[in-house]
Amino acid sequence: MRSFTSQQKQLLLLLSPATLFLGIFFLGPLLIMAVYSFLEPGLYGGVEWNFYHWNYGRVLGWADGFYEEFDIVYLQILLRSAGLALVTVLVTLAFCYPVAFWISRMQSRWKSFCIFLIALPFFSSMIIRLYAWILILRDSGFANQILMSLGIISEPLDLMYSGTAVIIGMVYIFIPFMFLPVYSSVENLDPKLIKASQDLGATPFTTFRRVIFPMTLPGVVSGCILVFIPALGNFVVPAMLGGAKVVMIGNLVEQQFLAARNWPFGATLSMVMIVFMLLVVSVYLIRAMKNPQHS
Amino acid sequence: MRKVFNHLLSGYGALFFIFLYAPVLLLIAYSFNSNPVNVMIWKDFTFDWYINLFGGTTSLKDDSAYVESTDQLLAALRVSLTVAAFATVISTVLGTSVAVALARYRFKLQGFYRVLLMIPMVMPDIVLGIALLIFFVGVGVNLGVTSIVIGHCTFLTSYVFLVVSARLAGMNPLIESASADLGASEWQTFRRVTLPLILPGVIGGALLSFIISMDDLVITYFISGVNSTTLPVFIMSMIRRGVKPEINAIATMMLVVSVLIASAGIYFRSRKTDS
Repeated sequence: MRSFTSQQKQLLLLLSPATLFLGIFFLGPLLIMAVYSFLEPGLYGGVEWNFYHWNYGRVLGWADGFYEEFDIVYLQILLRSAGLALVTVLVTLAFCYPVAFWISRMQSRWKSFCIFLIALPFFSSMIIRLYAWILILRDSGFANQILMSLGIISEPLDLMYSGTAVIIGMVYIFIPFMFLPVYSSVENLDPKLIKASQDLGATPFTTFRRVIFPMTLPGVVSGCILVFIPALGNFVVPAMLGGAKVVMIGNLVEQQFLAARNWPFGATLSMVMIVFMLLVVSVYLIRAMKNPQHS
Repeated sequence: MRKVFNHLLSGYGALFFIFLYAPVLLLIAYSFNSNPVNVMIWKDFTFDWYINLFGGTTSLKDDSAYVESTDQLLAALRVSLTVAAFATVISTVLGTSVAVALARYRFKLQGFYRVLLMIPMVMPDIVLGIALLIFFVGVGVNLGVTSIVIGHCTFLTSYVFLVVSARLAGMNPLIESASADLGASEWQTFRRVTLPLILPGVIGGALLSFIISMDDLVITYFISGVNSTTLPVFIMSMIRRGVKPEINAIATMMLVVSVLIASAGIYFRSRKTDS
């Protein structure tokens, strides 16, 4: 046996606990989940150890209609979730991008205070922040009361249990994820380059389009990814604010595990979700890397 | 023109902060509302919901109170604190050791470890939640505090790693060389030089882990057993059963606590970097 140098021994000592832990409790479960998605669901909620590709067939369309039915609804829900996640990304970006410029021009004391205020929700309970929106949006909630007392409406509006409510909820909880990367790229803008563009006769719009925006693009891209991924896989917001009307892919997965007890199919759905997510993100990343100038 | 633009921007910024804070402030204000039927129609100012939560007697009629959940609430809080304490200690040790290894040694698998520690942070929670559920049930581990602690450590390690790595990156490695040149052993150098220097990062990472662990809902939701509900999971099930005034009081107290912890963390960090 080869003997280790003292450096190697230290490295081994530092790395092995985390390697063992993450290998067993992180990579292991993910691998098992991948295997599960190819197993046959048992009759009473268990699993049969046979290779079974119909789980994927049910979602992607090669079911024979005898053993398993293909249902387009799974793909529809996946696409709808992606749509909701995309709108969430765009709304958070529309909120955060101008505000990042506003804050970056403040005096440094105000600046750190504002960033503290934006980061603070990250430290407070997500479920409670969503609950605040339930109080506002439900039939007898704050929004309806205001609108009714102003005489704008006579009957309460159905604000809860809609796609809009889900988007509001997701925008609300994901704003810090978008703001922080966007802000750091805005803060790192070199004012000399903007000055140079102006001196060379560019209009403010051209300066923005050709200089400012491309330079903040890395922050925008990472903010978009940081919001898109958790939004796509979210199940708490639709469960709280979407009800039975707005079902996202995350709710479907949850149902398979906790209600329908078809674990292999639930594992399949989450595998499909991960692959879809990777595809979207990689397309996005490759585009952003290839042509940062054309915006 | 420019002035108009600046005013517009300030207005937009103000709207942004209203959007961010009005819902939460509204929630806090209405936790003092005495109306037991509709929590959003203001009646009188009262502390009753808070007193109720702590088991005090109030002027409320029995049927409007929701006291039977107090014991469950405290049990959930106990589980949350236990889980957060253990998960924080374990993930701080794991995350810090990987961060030190990656910053101070050169080896082939550096890229692998960086990716491995990034995945838990960019993966949707629900995927990790169900993967852990399948794993624990398959291996035969009873769902409970242990499974939740293990589950939390899988992603908290990444957060600690990130915070400590940032601290290590800002550190001058020559200080450690100096210590070695002056005859300190490697262990002495680590304990007397490296550790004190990265300590703010380690504490910051631990604090972050504690907060994230206390707040985690999705992963815990899948791997908590019947008798080991954490506070966020308990509150979610309470909300699902219907809006009750006590929830406002609990929510307000949790918000206050998290603001205090976050402020303390930021104060501590800024003080450490000054010196």
